[in-house]
Amino acid sequence: MTREEVFKKLDEVFQDVFDDESITVGEETTSADIDDWDSLEHINLVVAVEKCFGIKFNIGEVSTMKNVGAMVDIILERA
Amino acid sequence: MKEYTYEECQVGKKENFSVTITEEMLERFKAISGDYNPLHNEESYAVEKGFAGRVVYGMLTSSFLSTLAGMYLPGKYCLIQEVNTKFTKPVYVGDIITVTGEIVERNDLFKQLVLKVLILNQREETVVRAKMKVGVMDEEKI
Repeated sequence: MTREEVFKKLDEVFQDVFDDESITVGEETTSADIDDWDSLEHINLVVAVEKCFGIKFNIGEVSTMKNVGAMVDIILERA
Repeated sequence: MKEYTYEECQVGKKENFSVTITEEMLERFKAISGDYNPLHNEESYAVEKGFAGRVVYGMLTSSFLSTLAGMYLPGKYCLIQEVNTKFTKPVYVGDIITVTGEIVERNDLFKQLVLKVLILNQREETVVRAKMKVGVMDEEKI
């Protein structure tokens, strides 16, 4: 899977979790960029990403992920 | 009160309990919520709208989802995070409802359970379908 393909899939995941079809994510996207992205939605988001890509994050990864680009790095390592 | 730990909460685990809906419950809910809608308070209005009698507040019936998670599954260490509820049939005063919850998913990273919940009346009709996401807190402060 290419980096671009991962971002495209993540767009769909984010749109579904936040129920907003206008959301697109990029390398630098963080929770500050999406209004409803609070700690509860972060759980929903991570679980949805795990299901979408068939991977499991560990607690260290989740707590140090600084933006969506970092999430994509991990996905590409695992997928 | 049950005190299930996250490790004890495996997919397929179920808990249930029953409760009779009383007039007093409706009055207390009305006082707390301030919902004086006639569907729940005026017999003639409710019958005119096609119901068998005053309809029990949906949110009163669904308040027993809190009982399920907080007292039974997982019980003491529960932290309710999300609830999605569908009110499929009306509930009336005197109905005996049985609340059954089953763990259908677990997420080890967040120690989160997904519960599928059904509430049935005494005629075994489904009155509420719900999905709950609940966290399970650690037993001891680390």
